[in-house]
Amino acid sequence: MNPFLAQATYDPPLTFWGRASGSGELWMMLGVALLVGFGLMFAMLQAPARMRRPIVATFTFLAGLFFVLAWLWPKAQGREGGDLPRDGIEAVGFWVEDATGRIGTMATVLSAFLLGLGAYSLLRIHLGRIVKKQTDWAFSVVLLVSMLAMMVVGYGSWYQQEFSMKDTDFGNRANWTAIITAKDFLFDGILQKMDGAMFSIIAFYIMSAAYRAFRVRSVEATILLSTALIIMLSLLAVVDMASANFIANFTGGDKNHFMSNFTISEIAGFIRTAFQSPSIRAIDFGIGVGALAMGLRLWLSLDKAGGSS
Amino acid sequence: MTLGEKLLSIKRETLFMILILATSIPLFFNVTLPNQPKPEAISFFEAANGLKEGDTVIIQSDWTEGTRGESRGSMDALLRILTRRGVKFAILSVADPQAPEVARNVMADINKERAKEGKQPYRKWDDWVELGFFPNGEALGKSISANLRNAVGSKLDGPDGGAKKPVFESPVLKDIKLISDVDMYFVVTGTKSIIIAIERFAKQTKMAGMVTGVMGPETYNYYVSGQLVGLVAGLKGVYDVESQMAETYKGEGEVNLDKGTKYIFTLHVGIFLLILAVVIGNVGVFLTRGAKK
Repeated sequence: MNPFLAQATYDPPLTFWGRASGSGELWMMLGVALLVGFGLMFAMLQAPARMRRPIVATFTFLAGLFFVLAWLWPKAQGREGGDLPRDGIEAVGFWVEDATGRIGTMATVLSAFLLGLGAYSLLRIHLGRIVKKQTDWAFSVVLLVSMLAMMVVGYGSWYQQEFSMKDTDFGNRANWTAIITAKDFLFDGILQKMDGAMFSIIAFYIMSAAYRAFRVRSVEATILLSTALIIMLSLLAVVDMASANFIANFTGGDKNHFMSNFTISEIAGFIRTAFQSPSIRAIDFGIGVGALAMGLRLWLSLDKAGGSS
Repeated sequence: MTLGEKLLSIKRETLFMILILATSIPLFFNVTLPNQPKPEAISFFEAANGLKEGDTVIIQSDWTEGTRGESRGSMDALLRILTRRGVKFAILSVADPQAPEVARNVMADINKERAKEGKQPYRKWDDWVELGFFPNGEALGKSISANLRNAVGSKLDGPDGGAKKPVFESPVLKDIKLISDVDMYFVVTGTKSIIIAIERFAKQTKMAGMVTGVMGPETYNYYVSGQLVGLVAGLKGVYDVESQMAETYKGEGEVNLDKGTKYIFTLHVGIFLLILAVVIGNVGVFLTRGAKK
């Protein structure tokens, strides 16, 4: 039991998690895991509907339990590569510690499926819109053509760089093929620039809001406006320096003078440390408690809508 | 029409045209403004510039062109410091699938700049490696916290035009096993990805952040608490770093004052315009109310 639960990263590997990358043993384990996964999926599909909720709840609990253990289970201090656990507590600790990287990789792989899910969802919605000739279906055509073009040149360029022309130095533009040039044009020349343009539009909204909405209507609004003004002025290097010079002239360069607290930079610093940071911490703490409550509900499958179907 | 009503009836198109002109015209002028770097940016520069030749750091590059105005200047400055110090680095991304390509392009530009300065290019594999994109920042952070080699060891990279091998065989990462073996972990981001990283492994290595102005206030908490050894927030932060670089690096042809310096005048004009818009709007309301009474 103990060697099985021991650590993974020394040679020869002792645990389930410690097989070398590319080894036959690892491939065999992967194959078995794949078969078991398909078997479980099939069993799940065959299971009566009323059984699905407890099954999903069990798996959700076990998956969550791992990360709870990873945070809370005592960790071995000063553990060396070849150390073996001395007792059950340490054995579990070693196992959890070794498994964390692998489980994290699994979570990363699962998250990568979301990208595929997003692409599938886009295709389904927009193909449907085009087939039914719904309002603005032409925009859906543009979206799908753009997506297809980027996929073709993206994968084409990746294939050439990684496989068919992998020994070519693509750092030198003279070696670029038509498809790599097309990918560069679509990604760097169009997509990235549009990304920048999209975000720059925010400036117009801010300008419009500053003119039309930022009004001194109440004491609270006045405090907010004054604070924002000081923080904005502190971002202006010229104003910051000018205020520092003005105060320095007034105080004769004495940094311990009471008036030295009244440079724009000092006032802005005071606002940040005395008001802004504590407020953000309080908000973050509230969010954290909320997330903990939500996490517990998900983990324990207490939400009726979650994990049932 | 009274003055108050006139002040309140400026057309949106006029405002937008003023904004376009006010923010684009300054870009054509090289104006170097006086500067007093903020403490967090000074700490950042001291930490990055304190790295020694042969040290290894990880850069989490989580920005794309959407935040180019701030993040590109940050990334440029960071890479210039690291390459001049002879620090080896690995780049990974968690926030956006586009981010690795963007970081790669920046590194290519830095190498072109080094060639112009008569320096050797920073060689892929020997001096820096790419770890690629990881779509789950939380899971990756926890994995890194447990064992860096297990977390990112499956990634392959190689020299330009050469065969790809596991990244931990590279001269950059060969001696690295845990995150605590890394001399510093930098995050360049326009998102909350820096906070996800801090929460998971800030206590295991030194961390420093380069974030956008929007993320500045929230991230500042982690600088005050000591979890970040330095913080560059927004364009002012970039300008602060560039100002310090200009004082430190005086080599012939070395680029120090770049995007932060180029854009800071535009930032001044933009903020001045915002303040003016708020003042005009409020004066308009005040005068209109006075006239009604």
